[in-house]
Amino acid sequence: MGRYDPIKLEVFKNLLASVAEEMGVALCRTGHSPNIKERRDYSCAIFDGGSEMIAQAAHIPVHLGSMPLAVKGAMEGRHVGPGDTIILNDPYRGGTHLPDITLISPVFGDEGPSPLFFVANRAHHADVGGMAPGSMGMATEIFQEGIRIPPVMLVEGGTLRRDVVDLLLVNVRTPQEREGDLEAQLAANETGRRRLLEIVARYGADETLHYMEELKAYAERMTREAIRRISDGRYSFEDYLDDDGITTEPVRIAVTVTVTGDQAVIDFTGTSPQVAGSVNAVYAVTLSAVFYVFRCLVDFDIPSNAGCMVPLTVVAPTGTVVNALPPAAVAGGNVEMSQRIVDVLLGALAKALPDRIPAASAGTMSNLMIGGYDPERGRNYAYYETIAGGMGARPTRDGLDAIQTHMTNTWNTPIEALEHAYPIRVLRYEIRRGSGGKGKYRGGDGIRRDFQLLAGATVGLLSDRRRFRPYGLHGGESGQAGESILMTPSEERPLGSKFHIRVGAGEVISIRTPGGGGHGRRTEATG
Amino acid sequence: MMMIGVDVGGTFTDFVFVAGGRLWTQKVLSTPPDPARGVLEGLSHEAVGEEGWQLVHGSTVATNALLEQKGAKVALITTAGFEDVLEIGRQERVDLYDFMVERPPVVVPRSLRFGVRERVDCRGKVLEPLDEESLGPLLDRLAKEKVESVAICLLSSYANPSHEARVLHRALELGIPVSASHRILPEYREYERCATTVVNAYVSPLMERYLGRLEAEIGEGRLRIMQSNGGSISAATARQEAVRTILSGPAGGVVGAVSVAKHAGFDKTITFDMGGTSTDVSLVDGDLSVTTEAAVGGLPLRVPLLNIHTVGSGGGSLVWIDEGGALRVGPQSAGADPGPVCYGRGDQITVTDAHLCLGRLDPDRFLGGKMRLDVERAEAAMNDLARQVKLDPLRLAEGTITVANAAMEKAIRVISVERGYDPRAFCLVSFGGAGGLHACSLASSLSIPWVLVPMHAGLLSAYGMLVADVVKDYAKTILRPTTTTPFEEIEAIVNLLQEQGLREMKDEGVAEGLITTEAFVDMRYLGQSYELRVPFGRDVASRFHELHRRSYGYANPARETESVTLRLRVRGKMDKPPLPRVEEGSADAASASVGTRRIFLEDHWVETPVYAREALRAANRIGGPALVVEMSATTLVAPGWKATVDAQGNLLLKNHEPLGALRG
Repeated sequence: MGRYDPIKLEVFKNLLASVAEEMGVALCRTGHSPNIKERRDYSCAIFDGGSEMIAQAAHIPVHLGSMPLAVKGAMEGRHVGPGDTIILNDPYRGGTHLPDITLISPVFGDEGPSPLFFVANRAHHADVGGMAPGSMGMATEIFQEGIRIPPVMLVEGGTLRRDVVDLLLVNVRTPQEREGDLEAQLAANETGRRRLLEIVARYGADETLHYMEELKAYAERMTREAIRRISDGRYSFEDYLDDDGITTEPVRIAVTVTVTGDQAVIDFTGTSPQVAGSVNAVYAVTLSAVFYVFRCLVDFDIPSNAGCMVPLTVVAPTGTVVNALPPAAVAGGNVEMSQRIVDVLLGALAKALPDRIPAASAGTMSNLMIGGYDPERGRNYAYYETIAGGMGARPTRDGLDAIQTHMTNTWNTPIEALEHAYPIRVLRYEIRRGSGGKGKYRGGDGIRRDFQLLAGATVGLLSDRRRFRPYGLHGGESGQAGESILMTPSEERPLGSKFHIRVGAGEVISIRTPGGGGHGRRTEATG
Repeated sequence: MMMIGVDVGGTFTDFVFVAGGRLWTQKVLSTPPDPARGVLEGLSHEAVGEEGWQLVHGSTVATNALLEQKGAKVALITTAGFEDVLEIGRQERVDLYDFMVERPPVVVPRSLRFGVRERVDCRGKVLEPLDEESLGPLLDRLAKEKVESVAICLLSSYANPSHEARVLHRALELGIPVSASHRILPEYREYERCATTVVNAYVSPLMERYLGRLEAEIGEGRLRIMQSNGGSISAATARQEAVRTILSGPAGGVVGAVSVAKHAGFDKTITFDMGGTSTDVSLVDGDLSVTTEAAVGGLPLRVPLLNIHTVGSGGGSLVWIDEGGALRVGPQSAGADPGPVCYGRGDQITVTDAHLCLGRLDPDRFLGGKMRLDVERAEAAMNDLARQVKLDPLRLAEGTITVANAAMEKAIRVISVERGYDPRAFCLVSFGGAGGLHACSLASSLSIPWVLVPMHAGLLSAYGMLVADVVKDYAKTILRPTTTTPFEEIEAIVNLLQEQGLREMKDEGVAEGLITTEAFVDMRYLGQSYELRVPFGRDVASRFHELHRRSYGYANPARETESVTLRLRVRGKMDKPPLPRVEEGSADAASASVGTRRIFLEDHWVETPVYAREALRAANRIGGPALVVEMSATTLVAPGWKATVDAQGNLLLKNHEPLGALRG
């Protein structure tokens, strides 16, 4: 452990966090797509020269733990200079799934050939090409999921590489929107770079770098404290995804958490081999989920940085759904598998920390993608939305209704914004009363949102918890399963949790998201 | 005609009187259960007769009702199928890593949210006619439920308010306040419009009651209320649109501070109001800047508010060491009870205690000597904490100030740097009780060259009420592509807003010659979903590209733009009250000297001159380090800073160290 001054530690903690936050503000304000501006599906972080994460703004948890691998992936065998920016989305080289595009820029000080820091941001693009609008179709290999971008230079010495941009844009359905969002991502990194250099000007590079190290050590200490409060032991749990969307086989996720003193081993041995459908998670996504759960166990507001992961050892066998190998399709790994990994981790930890861990939440992001040609506006469109569900009941409180949980926190698109932009009409948007699991404390209720298509379009859903319901804890009941229903004038047809279909003009897709699990046995008094 | 500005605070109700070119002040204790009593008491001290006076009032009635969840019983009427929009909100949680996270209170419970069959599309076309027949039974139900106020928010009512207007018309039969979203906020985004309307319905009956009581005593027609946008409105309007007064008090402070700064020659100001539990900061570049993206108490309020940013850091913020060994200040506060350790009851060190240990507060002159601070007690507590973290107590006390400054610096960055303003062009106006000890070092770390500490800082808010013009804001979402929509078509809508604005401004009692209007349009690139505000005119597109470039560093003139919302601001000019003047003196401030104090600055003790604020004369100069003490505040003129007193008695502090090379 180094030498630190408690005052400086706090000052640098605030300073560096505010850099990441400012990057987020810049990205949100300049972004073009509703996905960034209305839904805030992005994250920003800063890294030291050794590619270790130092600070991150609290945006989207699934991005958080995975960003460190992006910088490492981008820098592998590469030299960068001032004014460079690297772009990537390849899940097998630092990405998570193809719609998440990451931009990484080195920050150089006055001296030295190597960067002092990196700044990076990751934003979810509503479409990156591939077999289906929204780029989360029923793929069986990554090549169907959209354009795959290994780490390449997007900006070289301050000059935008037009050829790279053109190559990218020609492969996507809504190029203008993508270009606007990329510009915003560049603006965000520039904001981060400027602010870091201001800090260096004020405190000097040595002190800044010193406190970056200290902040990692600080986050590590805090995480170790949190683990120390868990009794030593082995805690196991398993749960399932309904299916991979291609076959009807359930997908098993198993975990054993072994706590010894102030460290923990998280072992996913026993988890299903990777599957044909896209619910495979790359290692970075699995790390994110582990990171998220242990971050929640720390009671204090600490920087989300590399130090948090030091006391944790993650064993994720390769070739399984928690550490997929190419060319597995992975779009759903990021959004669905990540949620189930959290569920099994919490299920295991509930045995050790019964008065802290909540019952299972909705456990799916209910990713809805609608795309096609809009005859009225004369253009193609791709609309993407995640629909919140019920939160699992807490040991002392009901779960919240209709709220984003765990690995995501994206906002909804206002109905009036959605109807203005796309040939879609929302017919209902309401809380799915009674869908939360009963118990001493009730699980939160899910949502029902009904979409009527005004023109024929492709509708895709990537969701889960249609068969395996969100579990209750300590006698609490499970939350209700989700439902997806196609409503036509002649019938109401139940659809699965994962599909891609053509829907005709006037037809309605009704999405009903799962409720959270209940907590504790219900008695007469609690109803 | 006598003008009276009144600011009802938590402890004191402040009055500023202006008549015949003269300005004087008054302070009485607030009477929280019935704030009108304090106001009437203050008025009774003055010879305010029956004739010729007006009162401008900053009211916390709406604020407190919202923050303490003590508003009216509200029913909400929505489009059927969308009764839960208010509760779902934007579906996000406020804390990512907290399993016990809660959502802001839902103002109207499910049992009082009612859907009616009807539907209008985003272009204003009626898809399903309003089910008129269901309204009768619904109103009966509301009467039976004894609701005190009704909010109406139907989908797409910004595009076509006819259904909503019809429901409004019927609901008025109930004889209780009714708030319709197309009146309160005819803008798109259903949740934000609905929440704003509901808050209006929630606070209006309380405002109604309070203003009714006040007007019964002082007579109708002489009362105006400060709005959150920095302008005032008649009491009659405030009763209808109470949501516009949510930040009434703080807005008065900003208006007052900006007015004093302008008079002193500063057009660009950052106001800094550090109180006991929180700090308000605001940036003003020339004109008062309003935002329509604010949230209060976790609810989005899309009516124009002055851009005031609040952080939970103040003089009473508690100092603690977390498990990882970092020194933390706040957000918990010792409040008024038990208060800082030096007040004699609390046991946990606060920012105020740190100042006392560093000698920067004079224990005998606190609140004009009305309350003696216990130095020994504060030092003992500081020593205890210092032993725990193996730090020198003085270093710990200084560190406390440093960490508190870091939080406030962050707050100022959010409103300046993050929004594209360079703090080096600004003057920091410090007016909270706890601010004067932080202002110089905060200004240094942000490279702000000037600090202004106004005379009568404690009465600035009441003064601001008198400075404020009558301001009415109007908006209308249009969502039209800019290039293909004929200018005349948009101009016609602006003209309609203009007619309404002028008419209503005259109803406020403002003479026509004093009325001015400004029109704006919120624009974006087609496909974007947030907007930039540009002055309305034929060249809006080029103005937008230019502003986009300035704000975000890039623009694309080839890309199509969209005009989203038209905005009109109607201003009724008010006579500006005079500022107080102090006697002229010389550069030598010796006559205000009240001795010296040993204070701890930059690692050592320095014998520092102390001056009494009330004895300072115009043109007096004071070099740092020095302390200037007054009844409710102490100002530290830091080393490297020089203070001068201007003709109004303001302390003007200038940094004489080169900018940019300063350490935090």
